[in-house]
Amino acid sequence: MAALSEWQERLEETALAPIRRTGRRFWLLVAFLLAVIGWGAYAYLVQLRDGLIVTGMRDRISWGLYIATFVFFIGISHAGTLISAILRVSQARWRTPVTRMAEFVTVVALVCGASFVIIDLGRPDRVLNVFIYGRWQSPIIWDVLAITTYLTGSITYLLIPMIPDLALFRDRLGGSTSRWRGWLYRVLAIGWVGNAPQRRSLGSAIGVLMILIIPIAVSVHTVVSWIFAMTMRVPWDSALFGAFFVAGAIFSGIAILIVVMAILRRAYHLDEYVTEKHFVYLGYIMAAFAAIMIYANISELLVHGYKLQEGVEFHFRQLFLAEFAPLFWFYLLGGLVAPILLVLFPATRNVRGMVAAAVLVVVAMWIERYIIVVTGLRVPLMPYEPRDYAPTWVEWSLLAAGLALFALLITVFTKVFPIIAVWEVAEDHEARVAPHAIEPLAVPETPELAGGVGR
Amino acid sequence: MNVISRRAVNTALGALAVGLIAVATAGPAFASHVAARTTVTADAKVGEVLSIAVDLSATDGTQLPGTTVTFYLHMAFAGVTGEAEIGRAVTNETGVANLAYRPRLAGHHELRMEYVTPGDDEVEVVTTAFDVTGGEQLYESAAGIDIPGVDVGLLMAVLALVWLILLWVGFRLVAIARAGGTSAGSGPDQTS
Repeated sequence: MAALSEWQERLEETALAPIRRTGRRFWLLVAFLLAVIGWGAYAYLVQLRDGLIVTGMRDRISWGLYIATFVFFIGISHAGTLISAILRVSQARWRTPVTRMAEFVTVVALVCGASFVIIDLGRPDRVLNVFIYGRWQSPIIWDVLAITTYLTGSITYLLIPMIPDLALFRDRLGGSTSRWRGWLYRVLAIGWVGNAPQRRSLGSAIGVLMILIIPIAVSVHTVVSWIFAMTMRVPWDSALFGAFFVAGAIFSGIAILIVVMAILRRAYHLDEYVTEKHFVYLGYIMAAFAAIMIYANISELLVHGYKLQEGVEFHFRQLFLAEFAPLFWFYLLGGLVAPILLVLFPATRNVRGMVAAAVLVVVAMWIERYIIVVTGLRVPLMPYEPRDYAPTWVEWSLLAAGLALFALLITVFTKVFPIIAVWEVAEDHEARVAPHAIEPLAVPETPELAGGVGR
Repeated sequence: MNVISRRAVNTALGALAVGLIAVATAGPAFASHVAARTTVTADAKVGEVLSIAVDLSATDGTQLPGTTVTFYLHMAFAGVTGEAEIGRAVTNETGVANLAYRPRLAGHHELRMEYVTPGDDEVEVVTTAFDVTGGEQLYESAAGIDIPGVDVGLLMAVLALVWLILLWVGFRLVAIARAGGTSAGSGPDQTS
């Protein structure tokens, strides 16, 4: 038992370390990210002052980099849902050290993604038009409802399992941290002392949320896909789009999670808890979703190509042979085939191999979103010459600022909140080394849902 | 003022009012130096081509060839009303502009024609109306299927259910806070 208690002490110290120590590199990183965001703010001011004319978007190609990035961010927000909810429901105990990071990614990606819709509007005050003139029949309204619900659910799902850890921070850091942090932990821990009624309430809340969040997440990306699929455009004319988008979202969500895990593991010395096993297991799931994406692409392209309705020939030419061929082939080979090969070969089935595969997937999935948005609008609806779209410096700057905001929010999160679900990791460890010595902290009424018996 | 004089004044005022109303409601074509006359094929039917002719002549009777006439049809679609340009025609040597038009919808149609005569800067307007009979519309499209229960109410019900569950989760938080408040110091601290 002494070894167990020593192990637990080490775990708590590891979780507390980012809050206790802040090095120069952290501040340099924050300064760099703030500088990029500042540049993006300047670009946005230029856009506000001069209008959307400063972008590459015009009447025929009216969506571009912004909407592609919005879809990308909403996609990667599925990381939290998959890892935390699906793996929790499926009793996969190995998930415990990475759930918190996945939930961070979800919330942060949703905030960043939603901001790109507002940027795309040109005038932010036009957001109000959604509420003033919105029609229930419009997928845009469904999207607003789904994303709002998902953001609320995700924040709740991030905070509720964090309560025991916040109480730990409250108790361990009391007096030795800044006043605002002490206040924050006191408020968010909502008086947690770990008694039986509290554990019951926490367990039932997590049990309900982990099931509820899955259909909400699926609905979000399905509705995002419907914004395209319900528009009269040949390349988007597909009933498969919902499933295709959800699969792509989970695929890119796992990839970004692997990248974030690798960075935080290195930055905060989490090697003992976030091990090669976690990267390889997530790599397996990522490879499975790569295979699903290959299947979906073949199904989509073959059916469209076989019928070759008006406009499809133009679309296929721009994808496979002309303007978008380099991007599209990179997406197919670099983003779908290569990751599977990296997972399949034993020589690359390690942390570096999985991170390389994940970086390929992240880049390829952003490209895929860009291709879907731009090529779909580029196919002429009438016999006129197709217009081309090239993002301007304003759009690239705002993309860079969006990515910097994503990185900054994750960075700040790690300095305020516990990056590891301490109580869950401890429970998992204790269940393995002394299975009869402990009683699960949470979900006592439904141990089979809480992951009480799985590996 | 005797009765006859009063009647004469009233008659004069009435005539003046009628004249003012006539001037106010007259189309610009009548107020200008151009006389415009429109004729539309009788017995117009949905899907059949009909001829809309505009005959332009100066007030002295000379024809006005080479004048472009633009035809607008008053339309209503999905609750929005407005005018749609249905074509343009140029007057021939006899001053007649002919437009062949195939009506898509049955019912009363109101047309407005605009033209600028040579040597003039102002757009002049003439209007006419005609009735189209036959099938209700040329192109039949599915009006959609009304499945009972599949409507906004269903969307609201699903949304309300989800938010109710989230609210229930919120109550669990309240329960946690209250349980902590009532047993603070007495219960085992299992946070570490």
